[in-house]
Amino acid sequence: MTRLQLLGLAVATTLFAATSAHAEGDKAAGRKLVYTCAGCHGVPGYTNAYPQYPVPKIAGQNEQYIVNALHGYKSGDRVHPTMDAQAESLSDTDIQNIAAYLSSLASK
Amino acid sequence: MKHARILLSFGAVLAFASTSLLAADAGNAANGKEKAATCFACHGTDGNAVDPQYPRLAGQYQLYLSHVLHEYKSGQRNNPIMKGMVSTLSDQDIADVSAYFAGLPTKLDTLKGHLQGDN
Repeated sequence: MTRLQLLGLAVATTLFAATSAHAEGDKAAGRKLVYTCAGCHGVPGYTNAYPQYPVPKIAGQNEQYIVNALHGYKSGDRVHPTMDAQAESLSDTDIQNIAAYLSSLASK
Repeated sequence: MKHARILLSFGAVLAFASTSLLAADAGNAANGKEKAATCFACHGTDGNAVDPQYPRLAGQYQLYLSHVLHEYKSGQRNNPIMKGMVSTLSDQDIADVSAYFAGLPTKLDTLKGHLQGDN
């Protein structure tokens, strides 16, 4: 193998490792972040006002769905005054971490 | 007296309106199961989607599910796939399908007991 090929392989391996590390959210960090969410999502039967409907259960929800929902609120694709404001303050990593933690709570 | 009568009839109208709202919300889970067949491909036969991009529906609040389905139908919530799915559903269908999924064994929960500092 030439030196160039070796270098290419090393770069590819590093990139791959970095990507997979990013894709996997940090549950412990997520657990800290969801403290804010509990004001509404931690109260069984808590009701959204205008219009009235129950705030959804999010513990145990699927990971990529949560990622998509939060990015949707952040980008404005999905509209909800409170959630838009919350998602605005979250980084992409925060969103990964929250989704990793919430999805890990699915009861067996 | 006249005021009282107006007030009474206003009250009656309100009472009637809330009853019909409740009736629409009630939903029949058995009928919902029949109508939910097309949902199963993505959301799972047990309402617990295996592909993590789709949400689990089993045990979600019934009124949340019906609210979201109405949002997809009106376009308030924009999702091409779901818009197509709900376009054929009547208000009663939405109530029934929501009742069906809400009644299934759930893996979902609120955040109560799952926070830093909770055990």
